[in-house]
Amino acid sequence: MEHVIIALSGGVDSAVAAALIVEQGYSAEGLFMKNWEEDNDYCTSDKDYKDALQVCDLIGIPLRSVDFSTEYWNKVFKHFLDEYKIGRTPNPDILCNTEIKFNTFLKYAIELGADKIATGHYAQLFRNSKSIDLGRGIDQNKDQSYFLYGLNQKQLSKTIFPIGKMEKTSVREKAKELGFNNYSKKDSTGICFIGERHFKEFLGHYLPAQPGNIILKDGEIIGKHDGLMYYTIGQRQGLRIGGGYGTSEKPWYVLDKDMEKNNLIVCQGNDNPYLYHRFLSCSKINWISGEIPNSEKITAKIRYRGNDTICKINFTSEKSVSVEFKKPQFAIAPGQSIVFYEKDICLGGAIIDSRWN
Amino acid sequence: MPYFDHSASTPINPEVLEFMSSIHRDIYGNPSSIHTHGRKARSIIEKAREQVAKSIGANPNHIIFTSGGSESNNQVLWSRLKKRKNHIISTKIEHPAILNVLKSLEKLGISHNCISVDKDGIIDINEYENSIHKMVGLISVMLASNEVGSVQPLKNIVEIAKKKSIPVHTDAVQCLGKIPIDVNELGVDALSLSGHKFYGPKGSGILYIRNKKFISPFIIGGGQENGLRAGTENIALIAGMGLAAEIATSNLSVKAKHLKNLENQFKNGLKIFFPDAVFNGHQIQKLPGLLSVSFPGFKSDILMAKLDRAGMAVSNGSACGSGIVRLSDTLKSMGINNGLNKSTIRISFGITNNSNEISNLLSVINSILNI
Repeated sequence: MEHVIIALSGGVDSAVAAALIVEQGYSAEGLFMKNWEEDNDYCTSDKDYKDALQVCDLIGIPLRSVDFSTEYWNKVFKHFLDEYKIGRTPNPDILCNTEIKFNTFLKYAIELGADKIATGHYAQLFRNSKSIDLGRGIDQNKDQSYFLYGLNQKQLSKTIFPIGKMEKTSVREKAKELGFNNYSKKDSTGICFIGERHFKEFLGHYLPAQPGNIILKDGEIIGKHDGLMYYTIGQRQGLRIGGGYGTSEKPWYVLDKDMEKNNLIVCQGNDNPYLYHRFLSCSKINWISGEIPNSEKITAKIRYRGNDTICKINFTSEKSVSVEFKKPQFAIAPGQSIVFYEKDICLGGAIIDSRWN
Repeated sequence: MPYFDHSASTPINPEVLEFMSSIHRDIYGNPSSIHTHGRKARSIIEKAREQVAKSIGANPNHIIFTSGGSESNNQVLWSRLKKRKNHIISTKIEHPAILNVLKSLEKLGISHNCISVDKDGIIDINEYENSIHKMVGLISVMLASNEVGSVQPLKNIVEIAKKKSIPVHTDAVQCLGKIPIDVNELGVDALSLSGHKFYGPKGSGILYIRNKKFISPFIIGGGQENGLRAGTENIALIAGMGLAAEIATSNLSVKAKHLKNLENQFKNGLKIFFPDAVFNGHQIQKLPGLLSVSFPGFKSDILMAKLDRAGMAVSNGSACGSGIVRLSDTLKSMGINNGLNKSTIRISFGITNNSNEISNLLSVINSILNI
């Protein structure tokens, strides 16, 4: 019988994933992972662990714990800070999947005797004769394949996504039926380790903020910013640009960052053509199948909550490609990931470096 | 399920359990009441006090019942508040119920220094002696380490303290039923014990205190326990602990011999198939039945999980509430490198373990190490 170790976070998705693994007759164990060192001396048995423990008790499997906070710091968080330092907006949850959950965690689980691991991701795996395809989760609103584009065949061959065929609502219903305390627990939003903290304060704790000018594309100074790292391309909120500037009442958007001069460049209106680009270049590309896809019908998402858009990939070199969109794309942000699909199969993705028209 | 984690907690002695159930059922009077029910309850408590006192060679009037070792330790340390001599000497390998209290006291103007230990986990007597000064109001040194079992030269420590008239407290939580404890022979002024470490109930503890003036109450109320620990006594737990203390210390040499035999069987057996094993702590001056073993090249959390899967309970480091294992500070203080620290498990045998169980444990470890 295959032994499966389930990554339990204390949340409802991984809890139901664990229940399904047990129902499917695998020999199963839960593994609770801690990725972030809290700033206090005492070891706290936190709420998440207790929720995970309650789930394991109900479904009758042992729960183990492991501390990967050092690995997370070295492999994910350092990179996260480095990207912010150069003015980009990284997505640590993607790196957390490739480096922690499907690397450090996977290896540890195998060391513990697992044949496979299971996680509570909303994604599906299709095991074909020659490869394993990563499919979107059935629940279109929860699909997490975007965050998993960095995985390879070896990782997928050791993975089960038990809830990929479920809608979030039925996941919650099942959790309630099974008596899990976490059935109505709020979905985690944003960056996992920051949790409920205030992001700006959190980032300021690690990186020095250098206030500077907010300018228009022609160089006119129209305000002050708190530090370029606090802003993301396409961002609308929090610019605090008072009245008197601009030609209309349209809201202001972050157009670009001038790292050298420490200027934040803004423009007005989300229909402003400066915010739209038809081309981007990207690197650190990963193809899940291990091979360059030869499909003609590729779509891409340039952000998790974005829409799929038809695009064409031009291979400039093995490691970097340029992408041409059929329609101009709003706020392409360097540091974020572009993820490619063919219909509902995730082909892979890359990190965006630049954009142009 | 074979249980080898007696230093964490012990299974309750069936005779003790039986006795406690009967008390829970039959003795419901308040020990402070003067009617028959109350008097019955009172005599049960006083009997337990005598049993406990006898087990450590103390005067029953010097025994206070608490909720456990942590409370006993806390009460001794917190009693230093508002005292003129505001410094405490302790060691680097104490239980968190000492070390974390010292940290808290620091913020309230009570300073401390912690004496280093050598590679065997025995404190540096010279450093200790040299660190004594006129503001030292208390010395607190554990009798034996909960992690490696090394027994401290407490008599020696007390003698040095006596010359300067400084009271000495010892956390002896790991020791009852393993080595003889006599408060007069040791010369200590205060000593902490915990019921569940010697086959008694959890939530029961003892504070031996030679001189009442030396401590203050934590819980103030109806004046129970000589005004040092208010609250209606938990009669069944106290009685159970009294009986457990009596049983644990009767025929102590036979019990200790049994634990030592199990320990030797394990050590010798392990060396045959895993000669690289490192046994931490002093190997002679130690508690019988407690072993800290490092498995170079293996991770303790993986070993533990595999032993757990095979139904064998051992422990490693100091696990937190959420089961995360941290590097052991005790092992660090002994100069053990992080690699070896991470590969260390603690095995603690109890009087109900037998030779067959040790053989099984060895063969399970053998198969885990050979995968």
